[in-house]
Amino acid sequence: MIAALAFYVFAAILIASAVMVVTSRNPVHSVLFLILAFFNAAALFLIAGAEFLAMILVIVYVGAVAVLFLFIVMMLDIDFSRMREGLQRYAPIGAVIGGILFLELLFVFGSWQFAPDAATLRLNATPGPEVTNTEALGQLIYTDYIYLFQVAGLILLVAMIGAIVLTLRDKPANSKRQDIGVQVARAEAVKLANPPSRAGLGQLGIIRRPLPEAPKPKAVGHDHHDHHGGGHH
Amino acid sequence: MLTIGLGHYLTVSAILFVLGVLGIFLNRKNVIVILMSIELLLLSVNLNMVAFSAALQDLTGQVFALFILTVAAAEAAIGLAIVVIYFRNRGSIEVEDISTLKG
Amino acid sequence: MNWTLVLPELVLALAGLAALVAGVLPKRDTSFAINMGVFGAMLLAAVLVMAQPEGTAFAGQYVSDAFTRFMKLLVLAGAALGLLVAMDWNVKEGLAKFEFPLLLLFSSLGMMVMVSANDLIALYLGLELLSLSLYVIAAFNRDSERSAEAGLKYFILGSLASGLLLYGASLIYGFAGSTNFDRIADAVSATEGVPFGLVVGLVFVLAALAFKVSAVPFHMWTPDVYEGAPTPVTAFFASAPKVAAIALLTRVAAGPFGELVEQWQQVLILASLGSMILGALAAIGQKNIKRLMAYSSIGHIGYALMGLAVGSDLGIRGLLLYMAIYLFTNVGAFAVLVAMRRNGRALEGIDDLAGLGRTDPAMALAMTVFMLSMAGIPPLAGFFGKLYVFLAAVYGGYWTLAVVGVLTSAVSAYYYLRVIKVMYFDAGEALDARPTSLSVVLAGTGLFTVFFFAFPAPFLAAAQAAVAALVG
Repeated sequence: MIAALAFYVFAAILIASAVMVVTSRNPVHSVLFLILAFFNAAALFLIAGAEFLAMILVIVYVGAVAVLFLFIVMMLDIDFSRMREGLQRYAPIGAVIGGILFLELLFVFGSWQFAPDAATLRLNATPGPEVTNTEALGQLIYTDYIYLFQVAGLILLVAMIGAIVLTLRDKPANSKRQDIGVQVARAEAVKLANPPSRAGLGQLGIIRRPLPEAPKPKAVGHDHHDHHGGGHH
Repeated sequence: MLTIGLGHYLTVSAILFVLGVLGIFLNRKNVIVILMSIELLLLSVNLNMVAFSAALQDLTGQVFALFILTVAAAEAAIGLAIVVIYFRNRGSIEVEDISTLKG
Repeated sequence: MNWTLVLPELVLALAGLAALVAGVLPKRDTSFAINMGVFGAMLLAAVLVMAQPEGTAFAGQYVSDAFTRFMKLLVLAGAALGLLVAMDWNVKEGLAKFEFPLLLLFSSLGMMVMVSANDLIALYLGLELLSLSLYVIAAFNRDSERSAEAGLKYFILGSLASGLLLYGASLIYGFAGSTNFDRIADAVSATEGVPFGLVVGLVFVLAALAFKVSAVPFHMWTPDVYEGAPTPVTAFFASAPKVAAIALLTRVAAGPFGELVEQWQQVLILASLGSMILGALAAIGQKNIKRLMAYSSIGHIGYALMGLAVGSDLGIRGLLLYMAIYLFTNVGAFAVLVAMRRNGRALEGIDDLAGLGRTDPAMALAMTVFMLSMAGIPPLAGFFGKLYVFLAAVYGGYWTLAVVGVLTSAVSAYYYLRVIKVMYFDAGEALDARPTSLSVVLAGTGLFTVFFFAFPAPFLAAAQAAVAALVG
């Protein structure tokens, strides 16, 4: 009874926030509603007994993916006031098509039929209550699914390489990098020489540049002088 | 009516699926919202997987959902990276502007 | 046992990690060495594939048989040729980063996982490893607006296709209680009648795979992405990933859903007819040769799908041979496009080929061979590819498919011949000298295309064994 009530509440909020994600005019609002949708989906997972997935949904999705979205929305300098209201123009036809698609899916689910031997075809029957959901999943993905687990790791690696190669600018024009090795060595800044004693600078080949002439005092105009010296005061 | 079964979950997931597809096709404003619609689509699939997993008393569906979550995170990272370079080149992320290539 | 069976994949993955370290750690530019290393790793993986024993591993998620061997060798050949085609271009365009061969390597790994998949989860993960790499290399020229747009379009539509695939996969799992292909086949054959939910799931999965091979009506992205992506990337898109996706489609249709042949057959016949007609008609007015090749590739996928749509062993054998011939001919034709460069600027117009017959007779001859082969003129390889699928259609009694196939071949010959006419009868300036790597690719694929008729036996035998492993 309580579980059923909870299901309806969470499902209603989930669907409402999903509608807001799609129709919101401000992308920041869309991201925030997306986060709300993820929280409610996690609650639905919990009701269905998938505790580990519920936690992962909150940690990975709300914690990382949705925040990444928020970060990008804020980073790109988008002029929200210029955003056109195209959705309204197509909303009626969209609602009709969506409604038809939904009814078709309902028709599929309304007469849902399992394979007659589905129970015997299961590979990984859920263990009893003595094993927690997390432990049961862990026993699967590190043994039977280790191959696919490694492939999933490579997918994340490709995502990392891809994001770096697409967006990283190696040397932005206005930033300077510190190279500690060069800085400490000072190799080319100091020159060691071994001059003969009592030799003049001329003999050593070092020519002294003549000192720059001292700046001449500025000639002061006559009128000027008069102006200051004269006794107007 | 008060017991929650497979049908309830599948219905919710079907609504999410339809919303995600509509979000992709009807959005004229903003590419990032399209990426969020894709996330909704994958969320609906995960809901399906979990519901079937519970109905069949079989963990494969949850393992599948775990992998989908992983891949969806990677996909979001790549998608946002592509949106960023598109924005750098174009200065806009409006969907109607994505039409240089035509034939 | 498990890990020894997946040795080719394991070697490729470890080579990728080593290449990553070799690219990141040294201060100087190591991209050429990494290109060579990745090329070597692909060849090594191909050798290991040839020596691979048969069997299944990892609780039936991975399968190795004659079919996977045939397809993996094609995929690795396509990827290695794609790398060769891209090397010189990347240097000239300032894109010679070590990440490019790395992404090609990981996409090949994804394709090998796809080809060997015997489980819906393995299918999905392999497809995503491939797709994520492809999204990135489509946008690899990140300072070009067109490349970024191609990446964005490909990403959005590709993710939508992945979503459809997953939705279908969830329905199939919900019906059968397992994601393993053998068990799904058991569930399908044990069920009387045709459950509606299962068919809807199958249609979703087929639609997503049709998107990946760019068959009508899921082809819309192809011309735009092919035009916007850098040319060698387009060459790669049009070759190896299509072979891998066709392999997956064949495995799904003939394996777990072999009993539902009437259900998927209609879908595939429509996709095949639509692709052939669109590929023939839409390419006629094109001025950009990359768009022309995009529509041409849609048409070729139509012919290949004909082999699967007739649903016979003969048809699948025709499909495998068609993909092998298409792969090599297509890479050769794209090598010519990559070599189109005048005064250092890359060219894409069909008119830019003008005068090639006088200024570079060797390349013009190679392009002529590829165009005639694609048009299906005997005795070139493309003729035999078409012959096998048309024969299968006739034997199966699918006259509509065969007649439409012959008619669209005749129509498409028009635009292939137009390219040849521009090369030999129009006047134009000389192109820049072509780099050695492209000459090697042109010579290799050209010789294959010309002399296939003399040595078809090993290919026929390999395809026959592959079909036996898949169906029997």
